[in-house]
Amino acid sequence: MPDRERIHIPLPTALQMLGEYARIRIGEQLRSVAFIIIYLLAFQILILRATPADALVIAGGVAMVVVGLTFFLEGLFLGLMPLGERVGLQLPKRSPIILIAMFGLLLGFGSTLAEPAIAALRTAGANVTAWETPLLYLLLERHPQTLVIAIGIGVGIAVAFGMIRFYFGLSLKPFVLTIIPVLLIVSAVLSFDENLSTIVALSWDTGAVTTGPVTVPLVLALGIGVSRATGKSEAAGGGFGIIMLASAFPILSVLVLAIGLSPGVPQPTDETAFFAPDNRNQAIQLFESPQTLARHAFTHGSEAGRRAFFSDDDAYRATLLALREDDELRSTLLGDLTLPQWLSEHASGREQDLFPRARPSAPAPATGQAGTRLGTVLAGEAQLAVRAVVPLSALLLVVLLVLLRDRPRYRDEVVLGIVLALIGMTILTAGIRLGLAPLGDDVGGRLPRVFRAEERSVERIIVEDFDRDLVFESISPDGERRMYFYLHDNREPRRVEFQPERFDPDRDRYVHIVRRPPLFGPQLTAVGIALVFLFAFGMGYGSTLAEPALKALGRTVEEITVGTVKRSSVVRAVSLGVGIGLVAGVARIIYDIPMIWLLAPPYLLLIPLTIWSEEDFAGIAWDSGGVTTGPVTVPLVLAMGLGIGGELGVVDGFGVVSMASVFPILSVSLYGFMIRARQRRSINQAERSDGDE
Amino acid sequence: MSDAPHVSNEISRITCHVHHRLSHLVNERLVEIGASSILVESGRSVRQLRRPRPFGLPGKIVRLEDQPVEVFRVTAPRERAHSIMEAVIASADLDQPGRGTVYLQDLVEFRRAAADTHSGDRAESSRPVIGTGATPAAGALNQPNRPVPTLLRDLALITCILSMPGGGQQLARVALDLGTCVPVVTLGTGTGMRDRLGLLRITVPPEKEIVHLIVPAHDCEEIIRILIEEANLNQPGRGFVYQTPVSAGVIDTRLRIGPQEHAASIEQIIAAIDELKGSTAWRKRFVGIEGDETDATLRLLRNNREITVICAEGRAATLVETAIEAGAGGATTSRARRLSSDGPEGGLAARERSTISVQADICKNVVSALLEADSGNEGDADRVQVLEAPAAFTHGT
Repeated sequence: MPDRERIHIPLPTALQMLGEYARIRIGEQLRSVAFIIIYLLAFQILILRATPADALVIAGGVAMVVVGLTFFLEGLFLGLMPLGERVGLQLPKRSPIILIAMFGLLLGFGSTLAEPAIAALRTAGANVTAWETPLLYLLLERHPQTLVIAIGIGVGIAVAFGMIRFYFGLSLKPFVLTIIPVLLIVSAVLSFDENLSTIVALSWDTGAVTTGPVTVPLVLALGIGVSRATGKSEAAGGGFGIIMLASAFPILSVLVLAIGLSPGVPQPTDETAFFAPDNRNQAIQLFESPQTLARHAFTHGSEAGRRAFFSDDDAYRATLLALREDDELRSTLLGDLTLPQWLSEHASGREQDLFPRARPSAPAPATGQAGTRLGTVLAGEAQLAVRAVVPLSALLLVVLLVLLRDRPRYRDEVVLGIVLALIGMTILTAGIRLGLAPLGDDVGGRLPRVFRAEERSVERIIVEDFDRDLVFESISPDGERRMYFYLHDNREPRRVEFQPERFDPDRDRYVHIVRRPPLFGPQLTAVGIALVFLFAFGMGYGSTLAEPALKALGRTVEEITVGTVKRSSVVRAVSLGVGIGLVAGVARIIYDIPMIWLLAPPYLLLIPLTIWSEEDFAGIAWDSGGVTTGPVTVPLVLAMGLGIGGELGVVDGFGVVSMASVFPILSVSLYGFMIRARQRRSINQAERSDGDE
Repeated sequence: MSDAPHVSNEISRITCHVHHRLSHLVNERLVEIGASSILVESGRSVRQLRRPRPFGLPGKIVRLEDQPVEVFRVTAPRERAHSIMEAVIASADLDQPGRGTVYLQDLVEFRRAAADTHSGDRAESSRPVIGTGATPAAGALNQPNRPVPTLLRDLALITCILSMPGGGQQLARVALDLGTCVPVVTLGTGTGMRDRLGLLRITVPPEKEIVHLIVPAHDCEEIIRILIEEANLNQPGRGFVYQTPVSAGVIDTRLRIGPQEHAASIEQIIAAIDELKGSTAWRKRFVGIEGDETDATLRLLRNNREITVICAEGRAATLVETAIEAGAGGATTSRARRLSSDGPEGGLAARERSTISVQADICKNVVSALLEADSGNEGDADRVQVLEAPAAFTHGT
């Protein structure tokens, strides 16, 4: 476009305009983040009665989240979404459907490789062990690349299907009505297999996680472009529904991959049997080498496993002792851990005793200066942001410029948008890591203390020069005797039960283990559970309010419906759904409900809802399931799921995310029915009078 | 440039605002009668919802309620326009309040006179004429027993283009409070001054809300004045209002929804009297305030034209550029899609519709510049429609 005479704006006016522009947008993001921050702080201060640690860092992190969200969203709206829509509009004009489908395949595949969603899955599976869930371990630790490729193929096929759907103006409903039952049936069948059942939760989570904050708006814009260009937007639901496909196909591809891998995978056993030399041939299949198997025993196993790993006791002791001197051995067996770290986190008491002087001391301050930490976090996140934004926008630009020979209308805006998206994503994710996630972890970690007895952490107190005479006995009415002694640290003396087997008469040493009673075990209190559920709900609701992909969806919905469906109501409906979903997810962890029992009812309910609902709302509803899980929700939700799971000794935190993605579909579908009832209001009188329609 | 060969057709444009839920009826009917170049746009209608407070509390809740609306625009030769309009009305019972609005505007359409585009269009629009010419009027075709709806003759269309976010809703509220009609809001993007700001333009939202109001012609100017004052259009950067003539129409009088307290609502009574009188003149409300002192401050532009360009998606930017070079101030572009009545054809459905408001003296220049820039693609030719706008207002006039 030739530059017409430009209006020169004096600098003060320009700054004023920019200031106003920034103020409105930052204000908007501030409001969207406010809920989750206030909620977390209120929970911490009022219920947990603790002041947040590192208040300054957290405040800084939250400020970064606000600024990052502002930049990122502006980048989406200025650069990425117009670019996607432009490509979508031009594609059907210049290329045959087969090429469009190929492009979709490439875009979907590329976006999965670009957005590091898989990292979230690996976080959820951090505690996965090779003996309890061998197949899960194999997928996550041994073949993460294969897993990513499988997911990528799933997303690619989904986007290609989406393009075909828009091109021919097909309804989303038949897709939903075939894919979802197939997925449910496959999941249900797999639930009967001991090994494969562990994959079900993972695969459904994958579906929710794959569609990241860059992919969603891009694919949404692209779909809207294609469906506008072909003019079949009425039937195709106005360009919605593609995110749903991109969430459903990876579930299938992961399930298929798991079925493919499952033949040679040993069945779950207990730890000792797994590491035993007899089982070595079986176990080694899961690992690259005996060394990695040994490392797994050291970093994930317990003492029993390690003992079982070595054929005889001497070899075991010798290896342990060698850890101190032999650096190479240490790095092979312990990975990144230092010996003291390993001792304090993984070793048993007997193993610690082998290293008298390396007694676990206070953990070394892992964090240096706040400044350098900020620097490294920013650098790391910037790298991920570049990976997520650049290849996808480059692909679109190349297709637009080279293949379609078209240009975006405002080239400078597109470039600015891409830059803003990069900066925004970096600041946003860094802010989450520095501010929001620690705050969430802090609250999540302290949450169980509310309803636990006063002793709260597993702690080992070694009493030297213990004297048997300190022990006194008590008696119950029916004559049962117990032994106690008084122990004081700096404060009051406490009465502690004496257990003879912990007393080492040779060294006059008593090892007192502070046990915390199981959080949700015998003392399962209604109030405690209610509080956990309340927390989960608020966490889901609040973090979803701040989710950027959802904002992009909301804005698109508002634009397409010309304001008859407000973006704030869509966001609220989705957030409500996520809140409810998290409650369900936490319930699954607490009560150890099989995944299929939680997946089947909502999805079965969704089938009739989808049949009755209107085409556009069906698309919006199913899409909102995919957009909910993004950079804000996933760290917070996973932290909570893992925290509670860890308390209960549940191996993995999977399933929470997929719950957070079903319930929004339900809530938005129901909201769609409400809207429809309201929309009838002006014409229903007329309808009643002539009775047709 | 001005001697570029172009043809002008005197045609009529039928615009139909119909509730989203009834739009398929209108759609099918239009396709059935073979109307050419049907353009559809999405919008929303705004009505007042009044209902009693819950729990028997005294008073009423009054709020605005949005409903999705489909805006159909069809052009047809003048002699055929009435029958098409009647068919549209019959298809979705639009003469009943609450269902929609239909109106007819006479305008001049310019096409580039290149042989291929010319013949293509002619064939497209004349074939149905022959088809229906031998048979009774299209309206009667549908439901023979249906009484022919009474069309109101003395109407005018007020189009307000508002730049402020939420401005459409604010204006709609004013229009509803005045009891004029059911406002219909559509979206558009503005081009004009914004593009000359360089990258700083991102601070100015390009989104515009366009409010369409159908009002009795004799009150039109007074209503415009009230709208200008109530919506602060006399301040810079707020928006633009103009009036265009409507030759016939059926208007939606159902301004209020909610429980009805009488045997007939006030809207039904108004509609009935309109129908009896065949005009809205009896409703004239602004008697004797012409020549008020407000005239001095709010001077309306008297001799404007509304130019509408309909082109393939993506072309509007270039065309608007051309128009601005030829002297136009700016344009508002909306997205629409074309429904083709004759099966799969070349060209894509995505259309852009730009409206440009210019002074009559430069109108000719702008039109020829626009036609000059025509891409000449078969079946994708741009259409330029010109309509006079007897009253217009923006800041600084």
